[in-house]
Amino acid sequence: MLSLLLWQAGLLIELLLLVRSVQTKTFTKYIYFYAYVACVFIVSAGLFIGHSRLEFYEAWYWPTQFATLAMGCAVVLEIVRQALADYPGAERFARVASWVVFAATFCYVEWHVARRTVWSTANATVELERDLRVIEALVLATVLAIVFYYRIELGKNVTGMIVGFGAYVGVSLTTLELRSFVGPRFDAVWPILQTTAYFFALIVWTVALWTYSPNPKPPDAGSGYDALVHGTRERLDSLRSQLRGVAR
Amino acid sequence: MIGLLLYLALGVGLLVFLWALARRKGAPVEGCGRQFVEARQALRTLQLGLLPENLIERIFDQEDYRYVTATSPGEIGELFLQERSRISLMWVRRVRSEIRNLMHFHLAYSRLHAKLSLLTEIRLALDFALLLMACRALRILLYLRGPYGARSVVRVLAATAGRVCAASEKSLAFLNPPALESFRRDSAGHGAAI
Repeated sequence: MLSLLLWQAGLLIELLLLVRSVQTKTFTKYIYFYAYVACVFIVSAGLFIGHSRLEFYEAWYWPTQFATLAMGCAVVLEIVRQALADYPGAERFARVASWVVFAATFCYVEWHVARRTVWSTANATVELERDLRVIEALVLATVLAIVFYYRIELGKNVTGMIVGFGAYVGVSLTTLELRSFVGPRFDAVWPILQTTAYFFALIVWTVALWTYSPNPKPPDAGSGYDALVHGTRERLDSLRSQLRGVAR
Repeated sequence: MIGLLLYLALGVGLLVFLWALARRKGAPVEGCGRQFVEARQALRTLQLGLLPENLIERIFDQEDYRYVTATSPGEIGELFLQERSRISLMWVRRVRSEIRNLMHFHLAYSRLHAKLSLLTEIRLALDFALLLMACRALRILLYLRGPYGARSVVRVLAATAGRVCAASEKSLAFLNPPALESFRRDSAGHGAAI
């Protein structure tokens, strides 16, 4: 009942987020992010319409889930692109680190799968989702580490995107692993936790993206030099006035 | 079980990071001229005021203490040791503060560079971390063992700080006006211009 309520409320918030993005024209700034929200909205609305017919829901749940999972990677790319756009050095660092994280996770998963003797489709799909979430979580953690290390200031929009998506990925990852470990007994709690985390993300996104608020621009080399010249001039002026005082 | 713990640690770690991001107060947008000047001053203080070999030898070598204890009563020796402890702790504090200044400057400056070298960045990050840890360790050792109990740590600290100074000097080279450089090249060894 609770997860059905959250599902309906989530659909309304997604619609509100998309309408607001058109009103404020933010969809042109964060195109991958809004493509993800639109994709999730279409998938959720379709599944909601057909959820009373079990065979329809079962046939469409996993294919559509993979579509939204793939679009989730686009959100991560959007976050990397937006957060570090004005910092070419930090952006390069993040790009290389993200590729390393992706390659390492991919190799680990391949090695893990190769060692397995028993194969089950249901478990494999859950594990694939979990592995994709691991990649997303690691890339997000890398970006956050770079943001903290280089003391990069983020605008309200990008902070909201990171907090909302990161919370959803973090909770999904934890619950998916617990599902793999505990087994079907965990199924009673799992959808509620996932839906609540996504609902939380939607609320954060709605608040953070209500108006367009870009990242503060870092000063360019020119303004740095200007400030340097200004500082030197000020010091020279004060020295001059002190010398005048001594001369008198 | 190890897998479960790893995944849980990753999930919880990400949530902690997000909590820190949400709580973070707006960091000042850096890179302005004052920071360049402060970094230059920090570099000068380190190179000329705090890291010269003779100064380090003077503070951390036992020669002075031996002389004082040989020529004066015991309480003067005690007083000397207390003063030398105070000076050595002050030296570590100043070195740490100037290293932090340089580190903040380097991060604010390098993040804007498109041709940033990843290896150099990682090496410098390790150097900065090592330096700050060495400063902490040195302070503890100086408290526990007195000014003459940590000579090897002082040597590591001075060598790493010298390496970091050399890297920062390259970043700050544009602050040396070319006219001054040629003037410096034409001057005599003791500093007087020809």
